[in-house]
Amino acid sequence: MSSGTEHDEDRFRRVYAEDFDSLLAYALRRVAHPEDAADVVAETFLVAWRRRRDLPAGGEARLWLYGVARRVLANQHRGGVRRQRLGERLRQQIVASVADPGSEVPERLAVRVALAGLAEVDREVLMLTVWEGLRPHEAAAVLGVGPAVVRTRLARARARLRGLVGDDPGPPGHVLDVLTASTRKEDR
Amino acid sequence: MTSAERVDRLVRAADPARPEVIGSLGGVKQSLLEEIMSEPMVERVVEVPRRRLRVRRFAGVVTAAAVLVSVVPASIVLRGSSEGGGVSPIVSADAQVVYPPVAMAVAERNPRLLIDRPGWVVSTVSEFEEDHGSIAFRRGGRELEMTWYPATGYADRYADRRHVGPAKSVRVDDWPAEVFQYLSGDFSVLSRPRDGMFVEMRTSEGWSRKDLDRVLADIVRVDARTWLAALPAEMMRPVGERAAEVLVGVPLPPGFDVAALDDISVRDGYHFGVGVTSRVGCGWIAEWQRARASGDEAAVRRAADALHGSHGWRVLRDMDAAGDWPEVFWEYADEVAAGTLPAGYVQGWDCR
Repeated sequence: MSSGTEHDEDRFRRVYAEDFDSLLAYALRRVAHPEDAADVVAETFLVAWRRRRDLPAGGEARLWLYGVARRVLANQHRGGVRRQRLGERLRQQIVASVADPGSEVPERLAVRVALAGLAEVDREVLMLTVWEGLRPHEAAAVLGVGPAVVRTRLARARARLRGLVGDDPGPPGHVLDVLTASTRKEDR
Repeated sequence: MTSAERVDRLVRAADPARPEVIGSLGGVKQSLLEEIMSEPMVERVVEVPRRRLRVRRFAGVVTAAAVLVSVVPASIVLRGSSEGGGVSPIVSADAQVVYPPVAMAVAERNPRLLIDRPGWVVSTVSEFEEDHGSIAFRRGGRELEMTWYPATGYADRYADRRHVGPAKSVRVDDWPAEVFQYLSGDFSVLSRPRDGMFVEMRTSEGWSRKDLDRVLADIVRVDARTWLAALPAEMMRPVGERAAEVLVGVPLPPGFDVAALDDISVRDGYHFGVGVTSRVGCGWIAEWQRARASGDEAAVRRAADALHGSHGWRVLRDMDAAGDWPEVFWEYADEVAAGTLPAGYVQGWDCR
């Protein structure tokens, strides 16, 4: 029994170490206020700790965590999640690290506004693909839909976003100074 | 560059997850990991009301003779109420009432704070030990939870709360205390140690500082019997009587002793149910292990059947609407019934 417990704990520690940054980034991209990401991260890992025996092996753990975080976010939007006292220090740290919103580059804000105008699943498919760097079958696993649905939604999301903001990439520098999540091409 | 790639580039440039945030966490990441891994197994957090978060492991054992009374009559005392008249929630126990020794032992050592304002009632008593326990008071949608600890833990807790923000001095029952405000709009109030104990008061979310100050001004320290009189009367009923109600339709493992439930007798109905069923479940797992080790297949079957049958126990079915304990219980019970001893059951069920 003890060896099984240690195995689960070791696996949880490894997943936490490997995927914390990805999960925090995921949360920061989906909350209205950056500090709220602390609640999402703390709650998601708390669920993972309690269900550590269910944690998938290998790289699938990150997708599994995204799925949990997605439900945590949905619950938060319904007002059903208490703020985790667990995440208090993380929240404070995020507040201290976040730049003044007024300093944001207008082009970025325009893209985010355009993203907000997409249908929910379309937006999520595009965000998972570009920001999380997921391939269609991985985004499909997070969203609980088929890969074919993801490809269709992705094509539609890109077309709609292009219509909303144009596809001029803008001057260099607006691109290079942001977090560089690797984006894979769609595996058609 | 294709049209799709150009769109992706625009979206990537708008990524709100800035490296200066993610890369600046220092020791916060590690401390959160430690906090999470110290959480007990029985708490569940997703999509559950707050009440469900209250199921905790039980600490310490208080042993005392069972001299109990069945009903606690109390006389209402009109006190000066601070808000629009009304009857104070603080009552004085009838002089003839004999409280359980377990309860009196806790009360005599406790800071014994109550809110002397109409409408505030005790809503939850999840733990009730001399060294540690928690009482939640509720009025409408607001809740204030008081948790008591030995004075030896004060410095650590104060240091931890200082991470939240600066301390602001207040007085509670004319005793010094410090207020800390969380970003989420709730407050923590740490009273300074007094007679070897201190109390942390946590508000629910959405309080203003003015709300807090008004409630703090109405908190008073009372004597032991008055404090006990404020608790739900069911908590003071004889443990055998309460246990008999909980155990209807529940098969008991060999050697199960109802009298040994004394140490968990002073809890609200939900948490008493948790305590009793955990003892029953632990007893059946111990019997299952014993029978397996001795090759007693009939006894293995009896234990497995008893645990599998827990899905039909009335007490768990009744509790299912109020909290997560039944889910935790059934998760482990089903594994044992299927022939596997689950890792973590000792912690999850608090087996000793």
